Amino acid sequence: MSKKILAVVLAALMLVSVFAFAGCGNKSENNTIKIGLSGPLTGAASIYGVAVKNAAEMAVAEINEAGGLNGYDFELIATDDAHDSKKVAANYTSMLDEGMQVSLGCVTSNPCLEFCKLSLEDNVFFLTPSASNDDVPAEANAYQMCFADGNQGKVAAEYVNGLGYEEIGIFYKNDDSYSNGIYNQFKENLDASIATVEASFDSSNETDFGTQINTLKDCQFIFMPIYYTPASIFMTQAIGKVADDAIYYGCDGFDGIDSAEGFDITTIPQKVSMLSHFDSNATEGRAAEFINKYTEKYGKETLNQFGASAYDCVYALYNAMKQAIENGKEITPDTEASDLCEILKEVFQGGFEHTTGVTGTEDQAIAWNEDGTVVKEAVAYIIKEANA
Amino acid sequence: MEFLETLINGLSIGGTYAMIALGYTMVYGIAKMLNFAHGDVIMVGGYTIYVILAQTGYPFLGLAAAILFCVLLGVAVEKVAYKPLRGASPLAVLITAIGVSYLLQSSAQMIFGSAPKMVTLVHINSINIGALQIEGHVVVTLISSFVIMLLLTLFVKYTKVGRAMIAVSEDKGAAQLMGINSNAIITLTFAIGSALAAVAGFFMLLKSPSLTNTMGAMPGIKAFTAAVIGGIGSIPGAMVGGILIGIIEAFSLKSAAIAPYTNAIEFLILIVILLVRPSGILGKKRREKV
Amino acid sequence: MKNFKLSHYLNYIVIAIVGIVFTLLSFTGNVKSLYLLMLENILIAVLLSVSLSIVVGFLGELSLGHAGFMCVGAYLGGKASVLLEGVLGNTLINVIVSMLIGGIIAAIFGAIIGLPALRLRGDYLAIVTLAFGEIVRSIFMNSSKTSFGGSFGLSTPRYDKDYLFIVGFVVVLICLAVVQNMMRSKHGRAITAIRDSEIAAKATGINVTKYKLIVFTVSSFFAGVAGVLYSFTQYNVQSTNFSYNYSIEILVMVVLGGMGSINGSIIAATLITFLDVKLQTVLTGDLAVLQDFLYAIILIVIVIYNNAPGLKNFREGYNLNVLFDKISSRKNNPANIQDDEASWHRVPSKIQIDEVLSTKIQRDPTASIKPDKEGK
Repeated sequence: MSKKILAVVLAALMLVSVFAFAGCGNKSENNTIKIGLSGPLTGAASIYGVAVKNAAEMAVAEINEAGGLNGYDFELIATDDAHDSKKVAANYTSMLDEGMQVSLGCVTSNPCLEFCKLSLEDNVFFLTPSASNDDVPAEANAYQMCFADGNQGKVAAEYVNGLGYEEIGIFYKNDDSYSNGIYNQFKENLDASIATVEASFDSSNETDFGTQINTLKDCQFIFMPIYYTPASIFMTQAIGKVADDAIYYGCDGFDGIDSAEGFDITTIPQKVSMLSHFDSNATEGRAAEFINKYTEKYGKETLNQFGASAYDCVYALYNAMKQAIENGKEITPDTEASDLCEILKEVFQGGFEHTTGVTGTEDQAIAWNEDGTVVKEAVAYIIKEANA
Repeated sequence: MEFLETLINGLSIGGTYAMIALGYTMVYGIAKMLNFAHGDVIMVGGYTIYVILAQTGYPFLGLAAAILFCVLLGVAVEKVAYKPLRGASPLAVLITAIGVSYLLQSSAQMIFGSAPKMVTLVHINSINIGALQIEGHVVVTLISSFVIMLLLTLFVKYTKVGRAMIAVSEDKGAAQLMGINSNAIITLTFAIGSALAAVAGFFMLLKSPSLTNTMGAMPGIKAFTAAVIGGIGSIPGAMVGGILIGIIEAFSLKSAAIAPYTNAIEFLILIVILLVRPSGILGKKRREKV
Repeated sequence: MKNFKLSHYLNYIVIAIVGIVFTLLSFTGNVKSLYLLMLENILIAVLLSVSLSIVVGFLGELSLGHAGFMCVGAYLGGKASVLLEGVLGNTLINVIVSMLIGGIIAAIFGAIIGLPALRLRGDYLAIVTLAFGEIVRSIFMNSSKTSFGGSFGLSTPRYDKDYLFIVGFVVVLICLAVVQNMMRSKHGRAITAIRDSEIAAKATGINVTKYKLIVFTVSSFFAGVAGVLYSFTQYNVQSTNFSYNYSIEILVMVVLGGMGSINGSIIAATLITFLDVKLQTVLTGDLAVLQDFLYAIILIVIVIYNNAPGLKNFREGYNLNVLFDKISSRKNNPANIQDDEASWHRVPSKIQIDEVLSTKIQRDPTASIKPDKEGK
């Protein structure tokens, strides 16, 4: 009996000691400005998280090579949430413990909704590259680099209204908040005179769209607010079924479709176009420069607008901090996250413009609305004309 | 017309599920374990095809290599992870199977990265019957899975090894006493199951070009459902269950309003069928002994 | 208190002590917030694994839908807490009321799922529970934005993170009290009798229907409560979190803890959650892919070590008990024979044929012929 008690007491002591006194551990040497990021580095959504992590790492390395911010290097802490909102709190807290001063938030929308509230508690500034949910920038410390879903849906609907179709097809992912967010706003703003044929899929069924293609095959115009991986599968499977002169139209999720490995967009007979803030096929300007640097370092596989957006985020934060320092503020590795948040809020609200973005257009700088949503030009890219 | 088209889509989905379910049901029938890693063996098969195709350009060489590699993998996994647990609680084996599943998935991500691979296998011409167009891969998948089912049934019924399998599945201890090497039989079962998984991986790639490290997980669960609907352990049952699930899926995806509930509907039908026939459509009713 | 057995109450005492120690430490600000968070996760995991262990370990039915009950609790309890927030604010009363609501609704679902359990056995029941979990998830996933948030998730109030773990400790203690008392009573013995042989249990006049329903109801009640507790640890409850993978994770805890051992489930839940969070927060950046890899290897090794019949001798030679024996060097003292060897959770479910053939003489041969202590 006493043996048992001894065992249990020992176990309990061990547990308490492991937990409690870890709090006294000293922080690691602190001479970098730390940027936190939580994203899906593993699991089904990992392509987006890895793209963001790579591009952000690249931007950080470049900034450090150029001398950093006032002599202080940047450091990226990238944690894995596997697109699971359950894991965000632990990521956030551990990054805060490691000294995160400013953040890129989460890569995907659903986890980011959790991140928003957590960062509000400690007043940590974040600029998310790709969590496009409408509710993400609701709080004062939250900013987006990508277009909010609702806006994209609205802009797309206005565009479609002007095209004069009587019936269009919509193909969306019903368990994804990105797709749903655009879809809802699109439907709301679409002229009532335009009939819609709808088909959807979910994450348990992302590779075989035979049935959905069957539903949509008579449409001349198909709106697809989805990411490029399922879109490329849809297009491949739809060859010979959907009319060759039909048009596929997508949002920024389409971006990367023309560079996806193993998928040759020229084999698709239909016209493919999208409304986006980044052109992953750019051959000149800053976007092309980014594309070259990224492909050189990480290959073409994970090149997409997520990475471009993350690259812009890091530089925007850097520029904003630089501007704050010029205005007489002090930013060092010892600055508290909350103080830095106030400084950055002031900068971003004070008409800050990011002029060297690889997303948006060459001549218009990226700016932010008061509500934290981004102002930049969306361009309707024609990825591919219909084969004659 | 529309109905027929949807039906054919259902058969196309169902053919693949049937193929996976056959593997599930073989392993369950003989080794009495839910092999949660079965779906991931499909994924391994898919990546093997991808690698061989990229190296040589022959899809069927890829299929052969995938079968070989999956058989080796299946046998190795069985030896390392499942065999030491023979005689332990079946739940312990279930847990190691889950561990193996995680292991395969994360290894695949480490080796091949997170971006989906696109694989274009052979193009099979479609068949036109009147205005009805049936895609080539649908025909190939259906015929092959039917033939494989038939062969498996014949193998189990009429060969010595097959009958030994039945004996092991009925009573391992008694089979051992009759001079059957139970362990060898179980290993053989895993080899067959893994080969079937490789073939299923080939069919999945035939239908859809995308290859990711999680591609086997959900089809695995669906196929497990199919095997249970058909009566787990029954080879024709797996076929029936797979086709049934496929057809249900196609019809529910067809309607925009019901599509989001596709999984729910499939699982609901599963529950209803099991309530009516507690051991599946073609499952044998086992009398419990005191 | 003639029949008072300290060992029966030891787990309450230990959990209460740990709880009090943490409460004191957190009041003095000595606990990192990451560890408070981890503690919340652990308490939820403990609730889930203890409640699942009644179904899997004691009733002997495999359930793969435990996350489904948790999902019901998290969504309905979470919704209740949102509605109640207007009246009660984000207070302890709100937490308690929401927990009751979430728990009771989950319990009703548990009773409904218990019905097929009367007709189905083994893996067939397992797939039905898995199906239930996925159906529930799918319904919440497709709900409208105003009702349960659909794919956007349900925004719920988060209870003060410095104090929520205290609530968690209390709930775990209540859960333990209910489950343990149930299992030590004649009802518990009836339940284990059903596990060991349903026909024999029926023959001895045990109402199998009643007990199966009771087990499923109690188990899903606490899963629902865990769900509500979870919703209070989150700002946003999302249905994708309750997939069958999560059910499996809970099952792993129960199996690792040892079937039919409540204390084992508690320890396994603690260790696995600790391992999960540690792997997640330590392996960042490029190392993230190693998380699942390491987890899988640890899982396989532990299961094989714990269960492999071939390793039986090795296990008995090198384990914690032996270690403690050596430390306390009381191995050969007949006065210290374990008197709880036959306590309720040690009863082997079935005697396996190979076990009979390879039965080793027990370490202490006097154990089986020891005189009754009470001298009756």
